[in-house]
Amino acid sequence: MALRQLLRGNEAIAEAAIRAGCMCYFAYPITPQAELLEHMARNMPRLGRTFIQAESEVAAISMVYGAASAGVRTMTSSSSPGISLKQEGISYLAGSNLPSVIVNVVRGGPGLGNIAPSQCDYFQATKGGGHGDYHMIVLGPSTVPEAAQLTTLAFDLADLYRTPVMILADGLLGQMLEPVELPEPIDPASLPRKEWAATGAAGRDPNIILSFDLGPDNLKRMNEALQAKYREIRKREIRYEESDVADADLVIAAYGSTARIAKSALQMARAEGLKVGLFRPITLWPFPYDALRAVADHVDTVLTVEMSAGQMWEDVRLAVAERAKTPFYGEMGGVVPTPRSILNEVRKDAR
Amino acid sequence: MARNETPLVMPGNSSCAGCGAVLIARLVTEAIGPNQIMVIPACCMGAVATSFPKATFNVPVLRTAFASTASFLTGLEASAKAKGQEVTLVGFAGDGATVDIGLAALSGAIERGHSFVYICYDNEGYMNTGFQRSGSTPRGAQTSTTPGGALGRYKAEPRKDIAKIVAAHGIPYLATASPAYPADLTRKVERAVAVKGPTFLHIMSPCPLGWGFPSANSVELARTAVESGLWKLYELDHGVLRLSLSPKKRKPVKEFFAPQSRFAHLSDDVYEELQRAVDEEWTTIEKEGFSLRCETSRA
Repeated sequence: MALRQLLRGNEAIAEAAIRAGCMCYFAYPITPQAELLEHMARNMPRLGRTFIQAESEVAAISMVYGAASAGVRTMTSSSSPGISLKQEGISYLAGSNLPSVIVNVVRGGPGLGNIAPSQCDYFQATKGGGHGDYHMIVLGPSTVPEAAQLTTLAFDLADLYRTPVMILADGLLGQMLEPVELPEPIDPASLPRKEWAATGAAGRDPNIILSFDLGPDNLKRMNEALQAKYREIRKREIRYEESDVADADLVIAAYGSTARIAKSALQMARAEGLKVGLFRPITLWPFPYDALRAVADHVDTVLTVEMSAGQMWEDVRLAVAERAKTPFYGEMGGVVPTPRSILNEVRKDAR
Repeated sequence: MARNETPLVMPGNSSCAGCGAVLIARLVTEAIGPNQIMVIPACCMGAVATSFPKATFNVPVLRTAFASTASFLTGLEASAKAKGQEVTLVGFAGDGATVDIGLAALSGAIERGHSFVYICYDNEGYMNTGFQRSGSTPRGAQTSTTPGGALGRYKAEPRKDIAKIVAAHGIPYLATASPAYPADLTRKVERAVAVKGPTFLHIMSPCPLGWGFPSANSVELARTAVESGLWKLYELDHGVLRLSLSPKKRKPVKEFFAPQSRFAHLSDDVYEELQRAVDEEWTTIEKEGFSLRCETSRA
């Protein structure tokens, strides 16, 4: 019988990570993700696992790099400015093919910004915030229960593809309390052995974990291998949710907390007789281009709603191209759209 | 009480009741006067100083990224030089931004020898984000990431001695201070402003919410830290080290620890041990004179 608990998003992600067998967690304090750090501080040591509050974000992501190299499930979490500081480390993790989970509880930016919910880090997460030709798998939970589910998935995908995976949440999701059915804890010892890990080379050939090669031809081959992996991920791991799209004239494209608010707007619009649907990407990378394109083929309008100046909007327009109109409604700086403000946009565009 | 025509730190700001840092900010800012530019990273005082419409300071305040107070000062100094401007550049940073994430930047700027007054107001943790431990949190303290009890452990490691780390750079002027000794603090700030090159003040900053004591007692607690011999007031001026104050009859250290809920779990055995350590330290100081070598970590 799975346990149902009332949890804050930050705590649900932390607890799901523990249950997914996260053995080492490293992070640095920042609002609005501090509860995640504190949940790990309270619970990892008593399970005999490692919690370290690092002296900086650069230190925390590099601790993840070290732990991932040695083959354990490992995670860090932060919020926007802290995630910016981690970018070099994330690029190293991607270049070295190291499974790891990174949580970004996004807040208003740029610069110091504020501590209110935002989706302004979409570009950074999905287009490679660090240097080099790399991607992370990026998962965008819309509710607290889904944040827990996607945390479990993040660890599995990270191991399966030997890649960093980001959970792109926001301040609203991090702070919100919801009932969550947590997954059963897994025994970390039951996970497949990571034969590639750095464990000391006694009695075997050395393993090589590296993102470096001075020879252009060799580095090109390493890059080609990464790109082949990304093609595989694009083929197999795209996830999205469609609501009421079958008969829709207008489909709202939204992810994360915004998608949840858009669902309320959708119900209000339907009550007014407007044929409105919702397309919600769950994997933000890889983005569900084909699925959205198929939706665009039979609607007039795809309205993108985001807590940003229009970052996912670029991917929506790539997918939809000229098939439908692609208006945009965004809020910035921690302002959260309301069901009514979305409905107003829907009314404008549905006419 | 303001030394300047207009108060340089305004009332009605958003600091917590009894905040040691805002008291320090006032003393420091008034001692320097209006011809200054203050640089504040992510920290409690950053939020207090620049949260419109409750912004606190009547001097220019620039907010910088967490890790980079001293780098920002470096850039400011270069700009002031380019313009031929005489202005005091002040870094005002908490302990997290100084001893943890900003340490490399501070070290680099001191080593290069830029002119600035760097104030570390030390509230012994990340108080702005919910009382997490920092490298300056004393051993034994309960914080939200060293919750102790059944949930794990209290802070097990002694604090970094940031003043000693800074002293190791051969900095022209360094001092420790306390908001309970405003005349001493003001004199040290004035000396720091007069000295050419980098200067550093390490100031104890009691935090009622984070340390868990009544907000009316901040100054009293800061004074007890000095009178018990736990927080030493000293300065290092061009290589000359001098104690500013030797408490004649030291208060028991328990009087500092016991009123704070973060130390509520400490037993009398621990207090005896802490008392012994402080007594031994002061015996050595009285016998051999004060040196940074015998400055051992407290708590």
